[in-house]
Amino acid sequence: MSTSAAVPATAHHPAPFGWSVDRWGFNLFIVSEAIIFVNLVAGYVYLRWISPVTPAMVVPPRELIVPSVNTVILIGSGVVAHWAQGGLARGRRGRLEGGLIATIVLGVLFLLGQAYEYTHAPFTPQSGTYGAAFFTLTGLHGLHVVVGVCFLFVLLLRARAGAFSADHAFPVQAGTLYWHFVDAVWIVLFTTLYLL
Amino acid sequence: MAATAVGTARPHGAALPHTGLLAWLGTTDHKRIGILYICTTFTFFLFGGVEALLMRTQLALPRSTLLAPDTYNQIFTMHGTTMIFLFMMPMLVGLGNYLVPLMIGARDIAFPRLNALGYWVLLFGGIFLYSSFLFGAAPDAGWFAYAPLTTAPFSPTPNLDFWILGIELLGISSIAGSINFLTTIFCLRAPGMTIGRMPLFVWMTMVTAVLTLVAMPSLAVAAALLFLDRHLGTGFYLAPVGGDPLLWQHLFWSFGHPEVYILILPAFGIISEVVPVFSRKPLFGYYMVAFSGVAIGFLSFLVWAHHMFAVGLPVTAQAFFAASSMTIAVPTAIKIFNWIGTMWHGTIRLTAAMHFAIGFIGNFIIGGLSGVMVAVVPFDWQVTDSYFIVAHMHYVLFGGSMLAVFAGLYYWFPKMTGRRLSERLGIWHVVLTFFGFNLTFFPMHFLGLLGMPRRVYTYAPDQGWEYINFAETVGAFILGIGVLVFIVNVLRSLRHGEVAGPDPWDAWTLEWATTSPPPPWNFVTHPPVRSARPLWDLKHPEDPDWRRGRSGGGAAGLGQPAAAPQPARDTHRDESVPAQPAHPADVELPEQTYWPLLLAAGLAVAFVGALVHIVLLVLGLGLVVYALLGWLLSERPSPDAEPAR
Repeated sequence: MSTSAAVPATAHHPAPFGWSVDRWGFNLFIVSEAIIFVNLVAGYVYLRWISPVTPAMVVPPRELIVPSVNTVILIGSGVVAHWAQGGLARGRRGRLEGGLIATIVLGVLFLLGQAYEYTHAPFTPQSGTYGAAFFTLTGLHGLHVVVGVCFLFVLLLRARAGAFSADHAFPVQAGTLYWHFVDAVWIVLFTTLYLL
Repeated sequence: MAATAVGTARPHGAALPHTGLLAWLGTTDHKRIGILYICTTFTFFLFGGVEALLMRTQLALPRSTLLAPDTYNQIFTMHGTTMIFLFMMPMLVGLGNYLVPLMIGARDIAFPRLNALGYWVLLFGGIFLYSSFLFGAAPDAGWFAYAPLTTAPFSPTPNLDFWILGIELLGISSIAGSINFLTTIFCLRAPGMTIGRMPLFVWMTMVTAVLTLVAMPSLAVAAALLFLDRHLGTGFYLAPVGGDPLLWQHLFWSFGHPEVYILILPAFGIISEVVPVFSRKPLFGYYMVAFSGVAIGFLSFLVWAHHMFAVGLPVTAQAFFAASSMTIAVPTAIKIFNWIGTMWHGTIRLTAAMHFAIGFIGNFIIGGLSGVMVAVVPFDWQVTDSYFIVAHMHYVLFGGSMLAVFAGLYYWFPKMTGRRLSERLGIWHVVLTFFGFNLTFFPMHFLGLLGMPRRVYTYAPDQGWEYINFAETVGAFILGIGVLVFIVNVLRSLRHGEVAGPDPWDAWTLEWATTSPPPPWNFVTHPPVRSARPLWDLKHPEDPDWRRGRSGGGAAGLGQPAAAPQPARDTHRDESVPAQPAHPADVELPEQTYWPLLLAAGLAVAFVGALVHIVLLVLGLGLVVYALLGWLLSERPSPDAEPAR
């Protein structure tokens, strides 16, 4: 750069944080997803505590055992996914594949728990704004868990085919990041929908 | 994507045809996608314009019966929805698509396939929205679709479903677009092009992309909840079952106000490119223009409730939102002073582009001032929902954004087509536009103060509104003639326009350092970037910006601290501005692929299915999954430029 010679158009100025194109794109995608949940949770918070129009939201009695177990399962799956990703960095494919399988199993267990919740809930989407918010928020989150499980499953297939290495780890990192995101959203939902 | 080009022996995709219809359907070239965006959105602009003329014809005389009341509702709703979501927003995305990679010296946008997907989703979303007319069921609740009017008890027909689903499609398109812009700007700038050396249009596109990314999800959520209310029987917006119609307004306007700046900031960017070039001076106060754009973007998230002064918010909230809204006038005025400062003592060349840019400044000031007026709560109570508001928003959106788009089209048309637009017709376009625009919209201020409400399909003859309304209709048709002149100009100049050459305006940014139109790969090499005006440095080796420590700013501006003096030998290597050789073997061409088109089609079928029948929905989702798999399996190996961490 110190000379004035013409520059080949393939070279680029360093990106912020040194992130690659794929990493920037994927992180921004996660940001947009997060903002969707922020809006939904804000809408629920508004209806429950802020809205001047309606009387206090009628919150039905909530059963905490299944969702608590589910929370532990999902947080545990996040730890496992992180461990699996570490296996790739150290070149241990067995750890990567085993970790991915365990994460997928835990994700499916979570979905089963969620299905139990849905079939045993004493309220419906039509029975008031709590029910409406509950099914909308957990439904969209559940959809993300399904997408996450599919994501991890594709990663597992490609990992078994030897597609990843310590130098080509971005898809695995993206999959784990997505899974952590799904985890984080659940913690917010569990707090606002069940605990408060 | 371009990063791996070096060393590839044979260009990818070269075997596929790059001409004809198929080439356009499968293109991932940011320039072609930009052209598609510009042509498509201009077509929608004509639709929206015809709707405007229908409304003005209806309102020309009192008690007119041209349009039935319910038809009028559909027309004004589609006019607003079209102009905002199908024209101005994607038009600016289209200009950004074409220009941003060229301006930062990149070969393509970061995610070319995602870029194509964004365009096709926009096109299908627009067709989907307009198909509602075929069923006589166009959306009819205004472009901001207030609940509870839009909920099932009050709007049982499918009109609003077209609106909701169409908006969701357009939301997908614009979120994809903003991810693409941000990644491109962050990762693909030419070496030496720091953030502080980017052209202002790139700056403003960057800020706009952040706004879109943060604001668009609010609208998507608001519309999704409305859909659930209408079809699943939830009651988010229905007070009788514990919901709150104000939730819609909060969600909608927390999108809607940033949206206003999504529509104007790229226009500021265009003006900041056009004014310096035609004043023969660097932009006055580069950093002030850039940072005031960022400030506007930030403030835009703190002002949404100024659209809701009349709904009974707490007084403290009203005071806060009034103050924050007025604050926006400060960074906006900074920009205006910077443009005037740029022209001051400049050698102004009064081209059509420059006429539009100057007209932009004048008309936008009027819109900005009426904006400060309606930020005053008691004044807003007086004029809300009246024609004063219609006047205000058209002064900022037409007098602002639209004039800037015209300025930009005159300025960059030579780059896109290789030929100039006719300046003679251009001046006619300018005159008709300014005269027609001000005749249409300036009297609306008075009409609003005289009490005429917006969105009424007719009025009684004894209100004192007849002359003003009639004059406005005449103005609207003059404006329409101006647009026709522009279309004639484009069509004629495409064939007979003066050949432009690579750099017809003697400009300074990198898009002028390649042929007009640029080759598919944009650049093989480009000049070194050591200031905000790399072509100035190239053309003036005796006085380059970087030696003076000038950034984009003039001598009086906030320049960068002077760089350490560089050895200045052999600065001008006389590769007279663009010497781009014919397609060199090691340059990767944009690929041809139909997966984005297929994926967008699947989404469209699924959305139609959500409205019509579950079978169609499943079919569409199946197509989406198929296209997604095809997309992923045919993905080019990703350039993992990231250093090992």
